[in-house]
Amino acid sequence: MDVREKLRILSAAAKYDVSCSSSGSSRCAPTGGLGDACSAGICHTWAADGRCVSLLKVLLSNACKYDCAYCVNRRSNDVPRATFTPRELIQLTIEFYRRNYIEGLFLSSAVIRDPDYTMELLVKIARELRTVHRFGGYIHLKAIPGASARLLYEAGLYADRSSVNIEIPSDRSLQYLAPEKNFASVYAPMNFFAERKLEYKASVSRYTPSFLPAGQSTQMIVGASGESDYQILSLSSGFYNQQKLKRVYYSGYVPINADKRLPVLTTKPSLVREHRLYQADWLMRFYKFRYDEILDEAHPNLDLELDPKIAWALRHPELFPVDIQHADYEMILRIPGIGVKSAQLIVSGRRFTKLRLEHLKKMGVVLKRAKYFIFHPDTPASLRRLYPEMVRPLLLPRPKSGQLDLFANTPLALPA
Amino acid sequence: MSLSVQYDSTFEGFLSAVFEIYRQHLDVGEIRPDRSTAPMDMFLQPFRIETSEEQAARIHRAIVNFASEEVYNLLHAAFLSEEAGVEMKIFSFLKKLFSGVDPNYGKNPASMEMLPIYKLGQSVRREAGGMLGLVRFAVGPDNMLCAEIEPKYDVLMLMENHFSKRFANEKWLIYDSKRGYGLFHDQGECQVVTLPGYKTGAMDLKDDFTDLWREFYKSIAIKERENPKLLRRCLPVRYWNHLPERATAPVSGLR
Repeated sequence: MDVREKLRILSAAAKYDVSCSSSGSSRCAPTGGLGDACSAGICHTWAADGRCVSLLKVLLSNACKYDCAYCVNRRSNDVPRATFTPRELIQLTIEFYRRNYIEGLFLSSAVIRDPDYTMELLVKIARELRTVHRFGGYIHLKAIPGASARLLYEAGLYADRSSVNIEIPSDRSLQYLAPEKNFASVYAPMNFFAERKLEYKASVSRYTPSFLPAGQSTQMIVGASGESDYQILSLSSGFYNQQKLKRVYYSGYVPINADKRLPVLTTKPSLVREHRLYQADWLMRFYKFRYDEILDEAHPNLDLELDPKIAWALRHPELFPVDIQHADYEMILRIPGIGVKSAQLIVSGRRFTKLRLEHLKKMGVVLKRAKYFIFHPDTPASLRRLYPEMVRPLLLPRPKSGQLDLFANTPLALPA
Repeated sequence: MSLSVQYDSTFEGFLSAVFEIYRQHLDVGEIRPDRSTAPMDMFLQPFRIETSEEQAARIHRAIVNFASEEVYNLLHAAFLSEEAGVEMKIFSFLKKLFSGVDPNYGKNPASMEMLPIYKLGQSVRREAGGMLGLVRFAVGPDNMLCAEIEPKYDVLMLMENHFSKRFANEKWLIYDSKRGYGLFHDQGECQVVTLPGYKTGAMDLKDDFTDLWREFYKSIAIKERENPKLLRRCLPVRYWNHLPERATAPVSGLR
């Protein structure tokens, strides 16, 4: 099998991993070496599905010994199997990098013989890239649950970011769908990395080597099992607060395998729900929301029609409208439709002038949603109190008006 | 009669023009770069100002004194947009800044004069940042890396630092075919080369890795989630010509 064929199989096998970010790490190019890491991250292209491609995302091998129901590479699937040799993979990485196709390597693998054997191979490639080829680009290594501490530690020294995927948001469903896995085995490497990172942070010296400078991430599949959004968000919030994860990715379940434990094959991926979860995730990471503010036991699922910030605002009419001239930055951040940049512009602009509606328009603040939630000198009297039941229909997406069909059987609703 | 001040289209030239306008108390109607092809306003009298490094440095110092280095960089970024009339926008900001009415004027990004400059500068910087990933090198003879770009704004010089650090030991050329100049880097030294009408042929230099890259690009997309609208928003069609993975793809989906 030639490299082209292997690349086709192994990148197609890796595509269900959502993570492709190259941010969070900043490294100068090693002397005489190639490449550096840019802390903002750089997207190099976008795939036909609109996802950013910044890393060469491949599996080392897809010959898996596990049999997880949701996975395309499971043992019981009849798919072509391939394995890269370290040399092929290293050459691909370096040549792609030189042509500025990629920001670095995202290396994952199916479990080949046992976790330790697989992890050893992954670490070997990272080590060779860093030490022999003096490669300074970004490396994302998957940690294999069950691998020994020594290998994980070494992975942390060479990689920028590492990730272990939790895949299914509850322990019971995970064990049901992936008999070889459980929460404890996923948490073990995550906690190990989190603890080592803390140790390294405590000993700040010029000579301390960096340990996973871009931190960790994880991913969970949404819609393959019956968890509510509240459960999912509380799990993510735990990851952010305890394991100090940089990102949690949500992947709307794409049916690949016919399996009686999973939704039927004709299910469409729940892209709207995935989108709402990402919005909620953003609220937790950049807008200082707690997960139990976004959702609670009484409202366990996100509203698919409205974004979570609006949903929160409509549940708290007592806090609105917000006076943009005097409110705290934190409160301005919570106004639906106003993002971090607009909030910063408002806060720095209001020190010099009394902000009116036209100022906001000139700043480029999007008022489509925000206008119902802000108070400024020109606020019409009707908007000086927020009535959720009146505002909600105004915020819903308008149904598209099409041309009426002359021969349709549906009776026309004529005005009385 | 107001003047149409002409300068050599460089930022130094523009700053020198500002200096001369102040020194000679000129009545300015427009500031016009040499590259401009728009017809001249017949009620303005042309007046040429030569570029002077020293005068530009003095204006630079003045901007830093009245505001900050950050504001200077923002003005520079906005200037690189090459938008018609951007010079007068910057000039009216500078007039207000130098008048000294409000000592905090330079710190307010939302002021009437600053806001358009701020937004323009942001979009130039956004393109410069995005362009870092969209440069595609082709390996030419004697192992030289060669790339061609056609950015909307003149962002090539904003990318110099990034590529000199990243490919410090390589020999490379990034050529802006829209503006006819490029950056050439060899043995740790970067220089600007002006080659009007030059053809890099970067898209015709193909090797195995270009093919492998196309193969990778095709197989990384998930078919069930295809989204042409999102793709075009993230990766505007105007860049596709110089991307080997998209160059041959049909412009499909929504227009």
